[in-house]
Amino acid sequence: MENLGALSLILAFCFSIYAVFGSVVGKWKARPFLVKSAERAVLAQWGLQTIAAALLVYALLTCDFRLAYVASHVNTAMPTIYKFTAWWGGQEGSLLLWSWILGSYSAVVVWQNRKKFRDMMPWVTATLMVTQAFFLMLIVVPLSPFEVLAVGKEIRAVPDGNGLNPLLQYWSMAIHPPMLYLGYVGFIVPFAFAMGSLITKQPGDGWIQTTRRWTLVTWLFQSCGVLLGAGWAYAVLGWGGYWGWDPVENASLLPWITATAFLHSVMMQEKKGMMKVWNMVLVSSTFFLCIFGTFLTRSGVVSSVHAFAQSPIGPYFATFLSIHIAATAWLILDRLGYLKSEAQLESVLSRESSFLFNNLILLASCFSILWGTMFPVISEAVTGEKISVDAPFFNRVNVPIGLFLLLLTGVGPLIAWRRSSLESLKKAFLWPSIGGFAISAALFALGIRHFYALMAFGLCAFVLLTVAMEFFKGSRAISAKTGQNLLSAMVELTHRNTRRYGGYIVHVAIVMMFIGFTGAAFNKERTIELKTGDEFDLGRYHMRVAEIKQGENPNYDWGHAVVEINQGGQLIGTLAPEQRFYKAGQGQQASVVAIRRRLHEDLYLNFAGMQNGKVIIQAYVFPLVGWIWVGFAGLIFGTLICLVPSKVKYEFAKTKVMGVAQGAAKPKAVSGD
Amino acid sequence: MIKRVPRVLLLLITGYLCVAQVSSDFLPPEVRRVGMKLACLCGACNNSVGDCPMIGCHYSNPARERIAEMQKASTSDDAIVGAFVKERGVQALIVPPNTGFNRLVWWMPVVAILLGLIAIYAWVTRMRKPAADAPAIDPAVLEKYRDSIDRDLAKLE
Repeated sequence: MENLGALSLILAFCFSIYAVFGSVVGKWKARPFLVKSAERAVLAQWGLQTIAAALLVYALLTCDFRLAYVASHVNTAMPTIYKFTAWWGGQEGSLLLWSWILGSYSAVVVWQNRKKFRDMMPWVTATLMVTQAFFLMLIVVPLSPFEVLAVGKEIRAVPDGNGLNPLLQYWSMAIHPPMLYLGYVGFIVPFAFAMGSLITKQPGDGWIQTTRRWTLVTWLFQSCGVLLGAGWAYAVLGWGGYWGWDPVENASLLPWITATAFLHSVMMQEKKGMMKVWNMVLVSSTFFLCIFGTFLTRSGVVSSVHAFAQSPIGPYFATFLSIHIAATAWLILDRLGYLKSEAQLESVLSRESSFLFNNLILLASCFSILWGTMFPVISEAVTGEKISVDAPFFNRVNVPIGLFLLLLTGVGPLIAWRRSSLESLKKAFLWPSIGGFAISAALFALGIRHFYALMAFGLCAFVLLTVAMEFFKGSRAISAKTGQNLLSAMVELTHRNTRRYGGYIVHVAIVMMFIGFTGAAFNKERTIELKTGDEFDLGRYHMRVAEIKQGENPNYDWGHAVVEINQGGQLIGTLAPEQRFYKAGQGQQASVVAIRRRLHEDLYLNFAGMQNGKVIIQAYVFPLVGWIWVGFAGLIFGTLICLVPSKVKYEFAKTKVMGVAQGAAKPKAVSGD
Repeated sequence: MIKRVPRVLLLLITGYLCVAQVSSDFLPPEVRRVGMKLACLCGACNNSVGDCPMIGCHYSNPARERIAEMQKASTSDDAIVGAFVKERGVQALIVPPNTGFNRLVWWMPVVAILLGLIAIYAWVTRMRKPAADAPAIDPAVLEKYRDSIDRDLAKLE
């Protein structure tokens, strides 16, 4: 079986190499059969990788401990679902998953476009397969998932495996890595189309229209991956942190940020034929940051909680990345003449300008995160001294940037395309600004003195009002025309332009997340040693340890405390945090935290340990944190709305300055997509 | 003997309070205050010594004990932090000091934003230039477009 798996991977590698050469030579020498055969090679490599992946999963499910990978990541006591998820629990398996997803995406792209973009497709195929060949090389040569355990020349199975890290045995961790990979890998497709369009000198809108939906789906996967990771950290690690600015967490955020910038700036190209070079840069940067993130996770160049064990693949990634960046930069510079803007910017007070600022701020955030992540390495190389750049740096730099971005989320929709007059802006901003100030003032009057929190809540109110006004104005117009009630009119409005109104829903979701993030300014915590019957207070809660129990089962030893929660003299419930010590492997420890989730605040108890017959409880109150998860649901909903085809097909006439009306008043501009 | 009475009494009262204490906070606020300036170098988190949540952390726990001992000896906060830096280098600090090469960590994001603003200014200036060179437009053509806009706006309203 292991031989079949390894052979499948070797053949898949050969097919991907063939696909690269077949596409390039076929296109170059005008041999359509070669191009076609290259496309079939893409399908073949996917089939072969599927066989390899299926064999590895089978080995994991059946606990085939002859395979080193299985012995390292599975044990017999593990539930079946986690035996399956062990596929991506280690370096070799996760690289196979990466490669298999890329193979699947490539097969879909080739199949979808078998009759479209015939000029561009050979280059798209070649770009996809170059990346595929690189990843397959890694799992064929240095990191094969089908390596067997042997003593001398005899293959030997160990009696039981080490098992998966217990921290990873959690439902969201079962889907967080595949979601992230679906995101990471998916960004290769827009990049491949961008390269195809550059090489064939067709930098029009074709590649943008083809890949916009793809980028959006990929962005959704990446968002889900990042937020599921945050949810896992919150519910599993025992300290309630959903974001720790760990290098690997940062690495997952970087391509998400550039992709977000791309999704905004791409509208400028679609509607105005502007920012073509910039879009190329953004889509390429997103791809490079995906590869860079994978490199960070696996090379050991920065120390991280998430990183896989150090492996020899760092130099491979560095070489691959360097070659790709150099080739892409050369290609963009060489094709600058084909990337000229089709329109002029008519006014600084325009939607176009707001997109520019949106991109600037997103990129500034991306740069500061990348800079903070890599600075310890840079500093050590320059000064020879190790330094720490931890959460306070990232918070100090990114909180103001985030707030400015929040402001732009509200400002953007209120500014018209082409030009806005100061009068129209005053009119549009009046009520949202009043609302924002009113909220900040009310919170100040209620005793909140945290500057950033006041700013954040005010801006959240501002953005919510702008979006509400947009929905209200549009629905009222439809309602007046059709006689529908306001709710039906709102649905109709959204259906007519799903991209615009779906986008607004995503903006609302982001606001909700900001509400959740801002709540962190008011966190309360207490770490306390208690015995049965002891009582303690935190925030509005009075708690009593009703029971402390310890025991064991075949999988782990456990200890848990039953804590009664009282509020205002009333018993409002009990929480039972637990701690486990798994018997398999190296006796790893895991906490099962107990959370009383409410939208206004979570009460969070962690059983941190036992000492001198007492239990150590870490108790936290996290105000508003639940809004992050509500925002997460909203983000998925809004993005799905964006993906629904609009009822009305909008055509965006490219504007061009034909002449200047001498002495004439400027025409009034209207807002709208 | 008589002199000893108050001390014994104090000891008894303290002992009683300890026994009567139903629970004990794990990390005194003054230790946390200093700990928040120091990075936890355990390699498993990016927290500070003051807020590292791992109860058995092999770095934060001894560091906290050391902070508490130094505080008992009336050592100032800065001197405690200095002692950690002397021993572990500047990586003991939660953020790099704003000196020498390390200033760059703070300044580069600001420089990046400024460069971005300059780039936007240059782009906006360049993108707006051609309009000035555009020829004068025939008023009749302009009027036709205005009528069309008015009709569209009327439909919207």
